[in-house]
Amino acid sequence: MPGLDTLAHTNPWRRRHPGEKALLALGLVGAAVALPPWPGALLVGLAASAILLGPLRLRPRQVVRAVRAPMAFVVVGSVPLLVAVGGDPLVRWAPEGLGAALALAGRATAALLCLVLFAASTPLADALPRLERLGVPPAVTEVAALVYRLLFLLLATAGTVREAQAGRLGFRTWRTTYRCVAGQAAAIFLGSFDRARRLEQGLALRGYTGSLRVQVDDRPLSVPFLVASAALVTAVVAAALVLA
Amino acid sequence: MHIAEGYLPPLHAAAWTVVAAPFVVHGARAVVKQVREDPDTKLLLGAAGAFAFVLSALKIPSVTGSSSHPTGTGLGAILFRPPVMALLGTIVLVFQALLIAHGGITTLGANAFSMAIVGPWVAYAVFVLVRRLGGGLSVGVFLAASLADLATYSTTSVQLALAYPDATSGVLGSVVKFGTIFSVTQIPLAVCEGLLTVLIVRLLVKVSPDELRRLGVLRRPATTSAPQEV
Repeated sequence: MPGLDTLAHTNPWRRRHPGEKALLALGLVGAAVALPPWPGALLVGLAASAILLGPLRLRPRQVVRAVRAPMAFVVVGSVPLLVAVGGDPLVRWAPEGLGAALALAGRATAALLCLVLFAASTPLADALPRLERLGVPPAVTEVAALVYRLLFLLLATAGTVREAQAGRLGFRTWRTTYRCVAGQAAAIFLGSFDRARRLEQGLALRGYTGSLRVQVDDRPLSVPFLVASAALVTAVVAAALVLA
Repeated sequence: MHIAEGYLPPLHAAAWTVVAAPFVVHGARAVVKQVREDPDTKLLLGAAGAFAFVLSALKIPSVTGSSSHPTGTGLGAILFRPPVMALLGTIVLVFQALLIAHGGITTLGANAFSMAIVGPWVAYAVFVLVRRLGGGLSVGVFLAASLADLATYSTTSVQLALAYPDATSGVLGSVVKFGTIFSVTQIPLAVCEGLLTVLIVRLLVKVSPDELRRLGVLRRPATTSAPQEV
């Protein structure tokens, strides 16, 4: 199961208003993307890492695990900047692109840490219903909330089916493996529509009117937190511009 | 593979968001209208979205010995149609960004354009064309899923090339560079996804023809039972 969701439900900022965390994390993402990579990316990356390891009390290993897969894209995606196409020879290494590749990798890493900062501190169940206040139609937020609630069940189903298939030596050859993976997908399809049908029946029995509104905790926005977040983002931007 | 958070320059990130927005808004409007007419659709759409997310998390073995994940855009478009997939795909991308840090918020527009718009539309167009030309269900599904996978990654390559043109040969040279890494290597995986999708649809035709008929994928009963003797 996605580790970030578990962290989001257990971290010390769990009870904070999602808007506060969005201001901090997305403000830092904006700074990472808009500022010159050197020293902007370094400062943003350090600030995000300090918050992740400090107030959010994540272990370095948990942060590494969260960024490992997307970092593969960042590394692979930076390689083309080290290659030049055209001229003579047609394809050659371009060491002059090293600066640009490092700047790109640095900026993406910093922004990724900020994304993890939001994802590891804010459960989607808290954020989704509040999107209505930003103008997202209730039908869309409710579908998204349903997706969120169903996908954990379906992931668990897929895992169970996979275990059962492995127990029956289903992954011996390519042929059997493909048949098994197709079986997993079909089982999830049937499971998801079966759950939807049962939800339909359950809601109909409870007088379903078409609204799936859930109770949202009334959490006041913390002014000191908002001020501190804005101050941090401003300080990072100012420091990056002065040092650039 | 999604474009990671912070990878695109701000102007490109904003431009792709603007390009993707009308499709996603159109999908959202279609969903809102559908839900108003039939509130139960909401539950089915939730199931479809969750299915799309879990489908993209399945591991398929690839020729290199490692494993890969299907994009699921082909199957999604065949089952749920491209306008709905524009919205569901975007929701799935937001979830992937916030649950597994794949993709991002600033790159959501670019990722939505390749995975939730180009991929599904290519799949649907290919599927409809093959069926109209008299091709079988399996041929249509295979071509739709494989070409949607390739189209998705080719779009990603173009997006990356536009953001980082080659110093000597410009955007075209950069398309070649990014395309070599993200599209050419994807060809065997696209074939794998096509084969897997055919297997999935065959299974679904066998075990769940009613759902496929409800979604409009199958028009006639899948199996015609022989007249029973009385």
